Amino acid sequence: MADHNNTETNIHRNEALQRKLAFKEERKHHNVSFIMMILLTLVAFYAIWSDKVADSFAVLFILVLAVVQVFFQLYIWMHLSHKGHDFPLWGMISGILFAAITVVGIAGLIWTS
Amino acid sequence: MDAGQRLTDANFPEHPEKATLEGKNKFLGFWLFLGGETVLFATLFGTYLGLRHMNMDGPSTEELFKLPTVFLATMLLLTSSLTSVYAVLALKQNRVRTLQKWFIITLILGLGFLGLEVYEFMEYVHEGHTFTSSAFGSAFYTLVGFHGGHVAFGCLWIITLLIRNWNRGITLVNAPKYYLFALYWHFVDVVWVFIFTVVYLMGKVG
Repeated sequence: MADHNNTETNIHRNEALQRKLAFKEERKHHNVSFIMMILLTLVAFYAIWSDKVADSFAVLFILVLAVVQVFFQLYIWMHLSHKGHDFPLWGMISGILFAAITVVGIAGLIWTS
Repeated sequence: MDAGQRLTDANFPEHPEKATLEGKNKFLGFWLFLGGETVLFATLFGTYLGLRHMNMDGPSTEELFKLPTVFLATMLLLTSSLTSVYAVLALKQNRVRTLQKWFIITLILGLGFLGLEVYEFMEYVHEGHTFTSSAFGSAFYTLVGFHGGHVAFGCLWIITLLIRNWNRGITLVNAPKYYLFALYWHFVDVVWVFIFTVVYLMGKVG
């Protein structure tokens, strides 16, 4: 009986420890993505500020950096990579798809007029 | 169990924000709202991209924008996004005081961002760049101002949420509310990433 109780507390402790480690891991992911986003921002500002990077290239380059940074936000900070996010993912993907069409459509309409 | 009851470490669910039907509905509904907001901001971005060179006699984007201010604002908002994710981490561990601490830091950073934006807009008005001075002015203030309005709304949201639930601990009722606020705040930061890229940085190279 005493042995049985002991195993149960051990299992419980083990689970608590597992959870704690999982949180620690998640925190590390958040910190890493924060550092990545700071770096992406710095690179984007540098590409524009510096004269060494050609302007036409810099514009394309910083747009790509923005997309990468948004990926970090959505997947790691907003937990889209976690389980049970299928509907949210489709909601966002369709939103982004319409957004892209909208930006190109409206900007194009004004530009050609 | 009453959903408004303070959760203990023993009965704390793995996903308190989705442990009730109401929480699940809020979670899904809010994500669909964010998908819609993406399109809403896209209309403003499209308009801005079309009109950004139509500055009439007013200052152009190159003359107007000052990168150090924009960089500082970007850092404030990016850091506030990190602190709100820390608050969500505290939410998952049933640590309400830690959650409150991180959300208050998030709020302060958000208010700092707003202060910088107000200062920036005032400078622009002095230089003759106003809402009615040109098509560029209208498009600029609509887009950037709409984002600033989202930040201001977020600040009011977290203030009321914190005050209302200050002594309540984490419950199945307020866990989804805290969680959704954090999602909203990240989304506001996502929009800012495109604003500093498309409006400010691209404005510097013409």
